[in-house]
Order: sequence, then structure tokens, then C-alpha cells
Amino acid sequence: MIKYFYNEVEDRLDVKLEGDFDIEGTEVVEEELIPTMLNYKTVNIDFENVPFVDSSGMGLLIDIVKTLNDKGIKVTISKVRQEVFEVFEIIQLPEILGEEVFV
Amino acid sequence: MRSVVSKGKNIEEAIQLGLKLLDTKKEEVDIEIIQPETKGFLGIGARKAIVKLTKVDASVKKLKENDRAESEGNDKEINSEMLNDIISETSSSQEENENHPVADEMDKEGKVWVKSGKLFFSTTPTFYPTLTIGKGIKLYKNNELVKDKNIVLSETDRYEVKCENDVQETKWNISIDKLKLKALLHVEPGYKMTRRIPDIEPSKHIELIAEELKEIQNTLSFAEVIEELASLGVIYGINEDQILKAIESRQPGTFEIATGKKATHGHDGWIEPKVPLTIQNGLKEDEDGKVNYRELRAIPTAERGEVIAVIHPPVPGQPGITITNEPLPPKPSYPIKLRAGKGVVVVDDKIVAMESGRPHIEQRGQLVKVDILPKITHSGNVDLSSGNIRFVGDVDILGDVDVRMTVEAAGAIFVQKNVNMATLTAAGAIVVNGNVIGSKLSAGKYNRLIAELGQLLEEMHTQVKSMIEVIRQLIHSPAFKSNDFQRGGMQPLIRILLEKKFKSLPPLAKKYVDLVQKEEKDLEDDDWKEVAVFVRKTFLSLTKEITSLEQMEQLAQKMKQLSEFSKIPVEPDSYIIISNVLNSDIYCSGDIIVSGQGCLNTKIHAGGKLEIRGIMRGGEVYGKLGVEIHEAGAESGTTTIIAVPVGQTIKINKALEGTILKIGNVKHTLKENQDSIVARLDENNRMIFEKKA
Repeated sequence: MIKYFYNEVEDRLDVKLEGDFDIEGTEVVEEELIPTMLNYKTVNIDFENVPFVDSSGMGLLIDIVKTLNDKGIKVTISKVRQEVFEVFEIIQLPEILGEEVFV
Repeated sequence: MRSVVSKGKNIEEAIQLGLKLLDTKKEEVDIEIIQPETKGFLGIGARKAIVKLTKVDASVKKLKENDRAESEGNDKEINSEMLNDIISETSSSQEENENHPVADEMDKEGKVWVKSGKLFFSTTPTFYPTLTIGKGIKLYKNNELVKDKNIVLSETDRYEVKCENDVQETKWNISIDKLKLKALLHVEPGYKMTRRIPDIEPSKHIELIAEELKEIQNTLSFAEVIEELASLGVIYGINEDQILKAIESRQPGTFEIATGKKATHGHDGWIEPKVPLTIQNGLKEDEDGKVNYRELRAIPTAERGEVIAVIHPPVPGQPGITITNEPLPPKPSYPIKLRAGKGVVVVDDKIVAMESGRPHIEQRGQLVKVDILPKITHSGNVDLSSGNIRFVGDVDILGDVDVRMTVEAAGAIFVQKNVNMATLTAAGAIVVNGNVIGSKLSAGKYNRLIAELGQLLEEMHTQVKSMIEVIRQLIHSPAFKSNDFQRGGMQPLIRILLEKKFKSLPPLAKKYVDLVQKEEKDLEDDDWKEVAVFVRKTFLSLTKEITSLEQMEQLAQKMKQLSEFSKIPVEPDSYIIISNVLNSDIYCSGDIIVSGQGCLNTKIHAGGKLEIRGIMRGGEVYGKLGVEIHEAGAESGTTTIIAVPVGQTIKINKALEGTILKIGNVKHTLKENQDSIVARLDENNRMIFEKKA
């Protein structure tokens, strides 16, 4: 099960994820994480401690970025592990979300 | 007294070389500089220094020195005078060693010769014999191998000749063809080359050429070949006589030392018609080029209960055997896939008519459709009072087809009179005895639909196949978890992939699904619809239904089969025969014949051959399998275009200036009137014209 830690700096939110970003975490992300993120102007999601992803998780990530962008909130994703980034590249996630999202 | 002329990079080197040749010291020779060295530029125009050394007695030398002292500034002349004296003396002493025995005969002086494989020579003060070393011979000078090809022999050195003897091992290998039906032994027998130098008469220059004796030694043994075959796993069809020939061969060669047995292919099932089927043969034009309508009455018919055709089962092939003793399966042979249509019933291996009508057998690959086509005869005109005609069989119209009327038939359409600003669509043939004016005729619509669907599936197949590849790649990625596939199937992943990587797939899928839906009633094969259902639920709607990778693979397979199927031509193809046509649009998947006087301002597309027996003025015509026209072009200059694909020909009896011919992408406009031309492309893709015989 995915865990997350918040670090708030004024209107910027840093979310540090820990665990696999997969179908198990769908509920938590949709019901807790997204509503929280909507209260900030800038959000960064730290993927340093995410070793695995699945297709539901990636679908969720697209949802997060799109939902937040629609509300004018700037989202960045940082410290993605190389193996995980390889998976993102196969499905062309950087092209879908915009290259600038990954920092 | 001897003298020598020697060359060197500079004077000093030339002198040193000369001294060496004379085996003497600088003090004991007189030196004449014949030519000083020239450096040249970058080695161009460089010349070596040449000096002449003459061995003199110490006394003479001394005398010379005195002379020189006396006549300074003129010593060169004196020197040469003195040289002449010295040269005229014969050499007083002759050294003896193994290379130059005492020459009792004067004619050997300054010469070199070979006797009993040994080299002899003698030098004179004025001449040194020279030698060219041939192939396979090694010359040793003072036990050192001489690398130059040409050499000057000097008495101070000791020479020895040796002949090289070459030994070449026998080379061989065994290769097996891809199908493992043949093992080829390539053998290149080895040899032993023995060389000896024959006796050579004394001469100033000789070339050492060895006599070569080549002895073929094929060392390949039967056991070696058998052993190698065994290690390659070859155990079937070994040709021992060929192996024996190979090991005895004295020339390089290839021997088929094992031969497998090829599979004999059987053949697919087929259908044998028992009644005449073609109306095309029954159609005869009279002298005016009009279709004789009475002949149409003689369209083949089958009576109720008559056997229309017999189904033959496939004949399986015989398996072959590879040289590694594995069975080689024959190409599978398939039975025909029969679709018994309206009015027929299958009894055992026979197809029997249940009602009387025109028997119709249509074949596309192994798919065979048999129908008894009912026929309606419309005795008057097709106009507002009769309404449009849509019929599942043949339609026979005795009158005209009037303005804005439509006739559609699953079989053929026959019109005895004229077609005026109307639309005729037939899956089979269209025959119009009168004139066609401002109308749209399309025969073989089914083919066009299948071709279009097949094209869409081909594009989709490429994408689905590569999508499967991507999914496989993902599953093998270390950071990818695939256990949500069990719960949600591929759907979430497919959705992401359609977002970007395969974003061109949904539009294709939509086009395909829409087309299948629209033309549903014309699609006899359910496979098209099955693919449409799967495509819709996988790529278009967002159902939660679980899709597995296996299902995707099956889909890709099916798409491929259908798109390949769509490329197989239908037999017999539809055709159009009309007598005269004006301002119309004619499409047919098969042949088109315009049998009357003219074809004016009409667009024609024939999937087969196009024949216009009268005059073509204006318009654009295309014949996929070639075009033949009696007269083409318009004096008024109306654009007249005749096109065929690459590899086909355009034949015209009389072509007017300005007619445009197109073969593939090559376009040519006739500059003048021409008779009897045949246009085609040559190897360089240029249009060439031949005179028609």
C-alpha cells in the first residue's frame, strides 16, 4: 500500500510517495491526495521511493496531472528512478504529460 | 686491373658501393665522377650520383697523384685517359670459389649459368653478370636471403640457390541447405609442388625459372566425411557413390553427398460446376456492336432439383524427409469453405438447386458462395410510376431507366433501352443495350467494400501488432507490475497507449466499425462483424470488460487473415457492357466494354481490362489490366486522358493530337495524330511507342 508525506512551503506542496504506485493505491490517491493537492498553487510529487508502477498507477498519474492542470495548478514529478522512467518512456508518458513535468 | 661504375644516393655512397664490389680500399682506386647527385624537388627530378672506380697499382696511383699535382685544373681529362689504359689490361688474377670456377673458356666471362641446380658465374672488370629471381626460388647471398628480384653478382660474395617446395593441404567442408534437403561437400584437393632449376646456358643475364612439378594429393577420406556428416546429424539419404567420387576427385568440386526427400504438396479442395455459369460467353454483339438481346434470354438456368456443382475434398500432400531424418510436412491443403446461399441445398458432396433460376457461384480464395439468383423482369420503364428497383437477384429491364431513378441488384442488371441520369448498382454484371447518359454505373460494389475494409484492417493490424509488442516490453520491464491485469485486464494500459503512442488507431477503428455497420447486409462473412465488435469494445468504448493479451493476439491474427482475404480476387469478376455512353461515371471491379460508337466525356474505372470499340472523346479512363481504344482524342481539344498502371499497355488504332497517355506516373501528350500505337514503359521508365501490327 502506498504511503505519502506532505511538506508544505507557503502555497507549494511537496508530496513524497513511498511504496508501489499501483491499483492498490487508487482509492487513497483519488479520495485523499487529489483533494489535498487542489488547495495549492504548485505541487511536486517525489517518486524517489517508488520502486514499481502498474498500468492503473500510470493512468492515475495522468488523471492527477490533468485534473490539477485544469485547475491551473502547476505539477512537477521529481526523482523518478531510472527503471520506472523506462516504463514511463515506453508508454510515452513524458509526451502525454509534457516533458517539463519531469524534473 | 678492373674498373666498376657504381651508383649511389650521393658520391660517397657510390664510391663505397664501388669499393665493395672491387673489394678494395679508397687508396687503391682512381675515382672518376661521371655524374654528381641532383636532389630534385620533393624527389622529382632527383638523379643518383654515378662514379667510376678503377683499381690501380699503388705505383700507378702514386704516379697519378704526381700528374695531378702537375696539371691542376685539368685532372679529369688525364684521369680518363689513364682509365682507358687501365681498362685495356685484362684482369691479371682470378679468385677461385664455388661460384666462379676457373673459366677455361673465354665465352663464359662476364656470364652466369646454371648447371645441375647450381649457380655459376664469372665477372670481368668491365662486366658483372646479372640475375632475375623467379617464383618459388630463393637466392641466398652469404647465407642471407636476397629480397630484391634483380641482383648483380659480385665475386666477393658467395651465392646459393634453393627451390621452394609448396605443400597445400586438402580443403573441404560440408554445407547443408536451409530446408535440410541437401548436404553439399565442397572439396579442394591439396597438392605438393616440387621445383627444380634446369640447366641454363651462360649468359650476361639469366632469369632463374623453376620447373614446377605439381602432384595432386587428395587426402580426404571416406571416414572423415562420414564422421562430419554424423556430427552434423545427417543420417538420411547419404549418397555413398558421391562421397567416393569426392575423395577421388583431382579437381576442386562440389558433390551432393546426401539428398532428402521433398514433400509433395497436395491441393486444396475445389468446386466443380455441373451447369454452365457464364453469361459472358453467351453475350454476342451483332455487326453494329449492339448486344443481341435475344442472347440474354439464353442465360444459363438450373431446374429445381438439378445438381449445380460437386464439392471435391482437399487432397493431402505426402510428407518428405530431411537429411537429418526429420519429417518435412507438406503444405496443408484446405477444403473449400462453402456458403450455400438462397435456393440451394447441400446433399452430401453435391449442391442441388431448390428452385429454378440462374446458378451463381462466386469464389474468393477458398470461400465459395453458391446461390440460385432469382430474376425479376420489369416490362416497362423504371420511372416515378414504377419506383426504384432493389432486388436480391438479377434485374431485367425491358424499357428505359429514367431520370434520378435507382436500380440495385445483388445479381446482374440488364437494361434493354437507355439509362438516362440514373444510378445502377450491381454486385454482378451490368449490361445496357442502349445509351447511358449522365448516369452512374457501378458493378462489383461488394468487392469495393471488401477492398476498403481490408485496407483499414491492414493498417490497424500493423498498429495492434506493435501495441502487443509494447505491452510485452512493458511486462518485461523490471519496474512494471502486471498483476492489475488480472483485475482490470489490459483496458487501463490500452487507454494510456491510445492517448499518445497509438493515437491514430481509434480513428481507424471508428471508420472500420462505421463502415461495417452501414454495409452490414452486404457482408456475408461474419468475421468482419466479429472484428468490428471486438475493435469497438477494445479501442473505442471504455467498457470495464476484461481484455487479455491472448485476445489481442487473436484479434491481430484475424485482422491479418481478413486483410489478406480482401486481396484475393473474386471469380468470376463482374463486368460492364454498354453500347454508348455520354457524361457518365462508370466503375467496375472487372472488365468494361463500350461496344457501340462512342464514349464521350465519361469517367471510367475498370479493375480489369477496358475496351472502347468506338470513339473516345474527352473524359478520363483507366484500365488496371490495360486499355484498348479504336479512336481517341478530340479535335476541339477537350481533355482526353487514358491511364493504365505501370506494366500495362495502351493500344489505340487512331489517336488524335492532344490526347494524354498516362502509364503509372509517366505522362505523355501526343504532339500529332498517330495511327496504330501501342504505348508502354521501357526499363528506364520512359514511355515508348510501338506500331501495332
